[in-house]
Amino acid sequence: MTDLSTHQPTETAPVKAAPPAPSPGPSRLVAARRFVVPPVVAAVLGLAIWQLIIEIFALPVYLLPGPADVWAALTTDAGPILAAAKVTMQEALLGFGLAALSGFAAALVMARWNIAERGLYPYLVLLQTVPIVAIAPLFVVWFGAGITTNALVAAMIAVFPIAANTLQGLKSTDRNLVQLYRMAGAPERVQLFSLRVPAALPQILTGLRIASGASVIGAIVGEFVAGIGGGEGGLGYVITLNATQLRTPELFVAVLMASAVSLILFAIVATIEGQLLKRWHESALPTEE
Amino acid sequence: MVSTPAPAPGVAPPGTTDQAAALIEFRQVQKTYSNGFQAVTPFDLSVGAGEIVSLVGPSGCGKTTVIRMAAGLSSVSGGELVRRTDQLAYVFQDPTLLAWRNVRSNVELVAKLKGVDKATRAAAATAAIEMVGLGAFEKSLPRQLSGGMKMRVSLARAITSAPELMMMDEPFAALDEFTRENMQNQLLRLWRANGFGAMFITHSISEAVNLGHRIVVMAARPGRIARIIDSPSPPTKDDAPRDKAALADTAELVSSLLAGDK
Repeated sequence: MTDLSTHQPTETAPVKAAPPAPSPGPSRLVAARRFVVPPVVAAVLGLAIWQLIIEIFALPVYLLPGPADVWAALTTDAGPILAAAKVTMQEALLGFGLAALSGFAAALVMARWNIAERGLYPYLVLLQTVPIVAIAPLFVVWFGAGITTNALVAAMIAVFPIAANTLQGLKSTDRNLVQLYRMAGAPERVQLFSLRVPAALPQILTGLRIASGASVIGAIVGEFVAGIGGGEGGLGYVITLNATQLRTPELFVAVLMASAVSLILFAIVATIEGQLLKRWHESALPTEE
Repeated sequence: MVSTPAPAPGVAPPGTTDQAAALIEFRQVQKTYSNGFQAVTPFDLSVGAGEIVSLVGPSGCGKTTVIRMAAGLSSVSGGELVRRTDQLAYVFQDPTLLAWRNVRSNVELVAKLKGVDKATRAAAATAAIEMVGLGAFEKSLPRQLSGGMKMRVSLARAITSAPELMMMDEPFAALDEFTRENMQNQLLRLWRANGFGAMFITHSISEAVNLGHRIVVMAARPGRIARIIDSPSPPTKDDAPRDKAALADTAELVSSLLAGDK
């Protein structure tokens, strides 16, 4: 019989020790160069070709403004455009928050009670299929042209990815772990919050990431409609206004701003995701080369 | 087929004979699924306190169904199943750990869910972690551990809930040969310290013979018990030297029984 006090050496050595320390300066610089230089070069080249095309074909500004025209529009209109971006950001954040809360709550209820899933899920899908442009005027009628309506439109299209992904995550908990909880006599509520929710975090965060972009689109769609209804403010309103007046450089700026708002929201969610998962989930572990 | 408890010469295997002391008794228990598939035909088996019963057999012989019924995870479709303890622990083939909790937190989990108070479970966890040799890794997350170490966490978790009966469903099947032998020794060490009864499912003949006071050889299609063999040299509390020749003969016998099953 083998001596019990000796362990196999392969057994006691950890496969992987503590996560590798952040790389020292030089290699980070190399990484930065590898990931920053190519897109910057591409952008510069793209802008040059863009300007060149305008020069060669002598295109009028209202058809296609050059990079210089867009830059001029941005600097002269910086104040109003930033104010509009702020309004859109507020609406998107509000809608996103509302969607996150209600989507998460709906998914919890559906994961906990099968009958709730059978009863609610079809309507959640239906909510997703309703053309948002068609429903937005109704919201304007009910809540007036303003931040409430736009946030609600944002929430309406952001709620489905959150609820659907969360539900999917809550329902794909490892079966053995569920049985472990059951055998230990843990109540369903404990199982839900101590096991299913943490295990579903990657899917929940995926839903939030998708919803972050969707909520900005929702806010802008709301502003389009509200703009028609006489409401002011927001990038959607700026876009409709400039489009009708053929102020193309300003239109470009507004589109760029809308992307920026989406990016900021996305970055916030991605940062939270990285922080929450970095300790244990594959998707957030540092890659080894 | 009923087990005939013939005490091995010299050492009497603990708890094999006394029916009253049996932790769990299967009396003509059978399992038939709703589609008519007969997973296990009527069989009798009992596991005494402090007794390790290994179940060995080909795939589809109903090994897992037997311990799932024993653990209450699967219903019994006929016969009578008597269990005299609620202090169960189930060890799966996978370590089945919470990826976001460290070793100590994972080890304490089941005891915590069962409502064991904090001081008691912390003390039990400390002892169990020490016993499986993971004292230096209490704060590590599962992903930082090797397969064998994760399995040891799983064993420590089972022990921490102070079980009287352990259900082990091929817990070492995914490990390499060296690790596997080491884990068997770990398990016997835990058994000597805690004295639980166990039903141990395995595909490995040597593992079944090394761990079992009794070896239940099962056959497939339909799932049934082919024979129950009393170990000629079972593990003992005082870790007495085992009769390797006798165990090798038993392994030979199990092997021939399994080969005869076609």
